[in-house]
Amino acid sequence: MELVIDTATAACSVALIDDGRIVAERHEVVGRGHAERLVPQIAELTEATPACTLVRVDCGPGSFTGVRVGLAAARALGLAWGVPVRGYTSTALLAVSAFAREDALDAVCVALIGGHGEMFVQRFARSPFAAITPLASLLPADAALSPEPLVIGSAAAALVAARGWGEAREDLPRAADARLLPPPWGDLPPSPIYGRAPDAKLPGAA
Amino acid sequence: MGGCPNAMRGGREAGMTLILGLESSCDETAAALVTGDRRILAHRLAGQEAAHRPYGGVVPEIAARAHVEVLTPLVEQALADAGVTLADVDAIAATAGPGLIGGVMVGLVTGKALALAAGKPLVAVNHLEGHALSPRLADPALAFPYLLLLVSGGHCQLLFVEGVGRYRRLATTIDDAAGEAFDKTAKLLGLGFPGGPAVEAAARAGNPRAVPLPRPLVGTAEPHFSFAGLKSAVLRARDAGVHSAGDIAASFQQAVVDCLLDRTRRALAVADGATALVVAGGVAANGAVRAALADLAHAHGLPFVAPPGWLCTDNAAMIAWAGAERLAAGLTDGLDVAARARWPLDPTAEKARGAGVKA
Repeated sequence: MELVIDTATAACSVALIDDGRIVAERHEVVGRGHAERLVPQIAELTEATPACTLVRVDCGPGSFTGVRVGLAAARALGLAWGVPVRGYTSTALLAVSAFAREDALDAVCVALIGGHGEMFVQRFARSPFAAITPLASLLPADAALSPEPLVIGSAAAALVAARGWGEAREDLPRAADARLLPPPWGDLPPSPIYGRAPDAKLPGAA
Repeated sequence: MGGCPNAMRGGREAGMTLILGLESSCDETAAALVTGDRRILAHRLAGQEAAHRPYGGVVPEIAARAHVEVLTPLVEQALADAGVTLADVDAIAATAGPGLIGGVMVGLVTGKALALAAGKPLVAVNHLEGHALSPRLADPALAFPYLLLLVSGGHCQLLFVEGVGRYRRLATTIDDAAGEAFDKTAKLLGLGFPGGPAVEAAARAGNPRAVPLPRPLVGTAEPHFSFAGLKSAVLRARDAGVHSAGDIAASFQQAVVDCLLDRTRRALAVADGATALVVAGGVAANGAVRAALADLAHAHGLPFVAPPGWLCTDNAAMIAWAGAERLAAGLTDGLDVAARARWPLDPTAEKARGAGVKA
């Protein structure tokens, strides 16, 4: 039995997965309330469940605070249960979800709201599942060079607006969809993927 | 990181409560195990000084990034140091505010998840209550009520401590905290970060009467503290180019001591029934501040209580101890408890002129 935690975006989403099957899930759009909602959600889910043998967590990129809330909970549960903790990226999760839902989709562009007017962009191919580009923090004009007709994620509408064509869908990552991630996409170390260096500037730096 | 003078190994006696404390509200990440009879079985701390030093102060975003990487390893190390497992722990105490909210959330959510997984109660601790009760961890004889000067990088308050969860705020700062003034002075004088120890070291080679600096609010009827004007005066003294850094540091430190003494003396006059004068918070690690307050307490016929330096700066032992005191009083929290950037110990205190409402 595996517990999946996804708090990298406005969704607070948890799921129990057994052998690729969804045993139970909670998925709420909470905006900023992850620190209050997440652990009670996990309590509801694990109340009547045999012990988990793995915790998997969304490492980002996404909400700076949400990512760290999910990782803090996942790491603590891993410690208390004595089980391994693994991670995945929010972009890969959104891509596998989109491919699972639409048979005809060959490639997709994931765009998430980043910092300073930029967006986190990563493009994926369906078969075999692979990243066409590495994760990048891009200005809208550069992000608009992505050729995939379908753009998903919190910055999808902004990217499509900048590009002037295509379809935008503001999908939120759903923890239960982590069962769709092919190895090794779900086996990252449980550390935050911020997508950007800290904003702080050294004294005297430009 | 590492051991402390009174750390003990090898578990505990049957029947004694054991609390795991977590702290992550500013630039220290820490985990500690403390018993209800004041034994510190383990305390681990990962400071971020090296990460913040280039900036001359604590950068919230960098602090928030660091906590999530180091907290669970610290908990594992603390449990190993104490020779116990989570199953041996009676409650998990985590700082729930006030502080840098990104860091607070990491510690609080870690505490919630540990509490859930281990089936133990959660105690959401006010970081300031951790400081306020820490003298009782260090000194079993310290009884309520007492007058507390809480003086750190984020806070400067005089509190009448009547009991667990019962605080009367007699004074607070209307602008900077005293520790903030130390950090800013160190930055102005190029002495490095953190500023407290750097200014204290530089002051040893200086003359505390060499540079005329103001003592904001000293002698006034209003009870509060103010340090912003002092910081500006340090800037002017530096720019005048006639004083050594040592003389400015020594004169600054003396000005802070004079302010703290005057305001504390004023509070003592209204702290009826106080059994002791107590100081806590990072600035309480300053030798000149300690010596002056000890003299003041002596002059009023009161015992002076100051926890050891490591217990004055941010740490998790004080959070575990506050957790032990709250658990003993039957005060625990739900797993949905919110992290709070602002959380005054005395919510009924009148808002001070110019002051924020964070504490």
